Amino acid sequence: MRSIEAIRRSGIGIGPERTIHDAAVVMEQTGVGSLVVIDDARIVGIVTDRDLVRRGLATGLPADARVDGVMSAPVVTLGADDDLHSAFALFRTHAVRRLAVVRDEQFVGMITVDDLLMDLAADLADLSRPITGEVLFGHHDSPVPATR
Amino acid sequence: MQVSKGDRIVIHGHRVGEPDRDAEVLEVQGADGGPPYLVRWGDSGHESLFFPGSDATVQHFEHRSQ
Repeated sequence: MRSIEAIRRSGIGIGPERTIHDAAVVMEQTGVGSLVVIDDARIVGIVTDRDLVRRGLATGLPADARVDGVMSAPVVTLGADDDLHSAFALFRTHAVRRLAVVRDEQFVGMITVDDLLMDLAADLADLSRPITGEVLFGHHDSPVPATR
Repeated sequence: MQVSKGDRIVIHGHRVGEPDRDAEVLEVQGADGGPPYLVRWGDSGHESLFFPGSDATVQHFEHRSQ
């Protein structure tokens, strides 16, 4: 499975000169927890709702402080055509919860740990179904009697 | 997804009871009419860049020439 196929929702971007208040409003308006920060068509950072709280609100930054003052950089990226297993390795080695998917160095979308966990949970539920069925309901009698 | 200035983009809710969110396309910034799109969100009037995913649909409107 290619990484681009694991993207579940639209990506939202904002310029580095925008304010942290703008970022918060856009997150609320779009229902996302993170925005990619894009400058001249390049990804320069990522700002999350947690960044706004810990680096903005908790440190007393004013609401008109620039987004690039609280964003995380550099951003861990994954190629759109890379196998999804590459994402697992990146999550493991970089201890991040989001990966930016790029194609020709252009942002395409975001893959999150939450989305992958939900997909895995659905797959595990499918695999466990025949086993739970056997445990709960036992073996079905064969319709053809055994013969010598 | 083919998008033009003036079109309306709708992001469908991901959770039960979550409302759809909509935005007006102000500018197509990608090559060959592709993303990103500069959009203005309906409720707040704030602008952002938008990279459409499978949760988004576009409503095209006729653009009359002046």
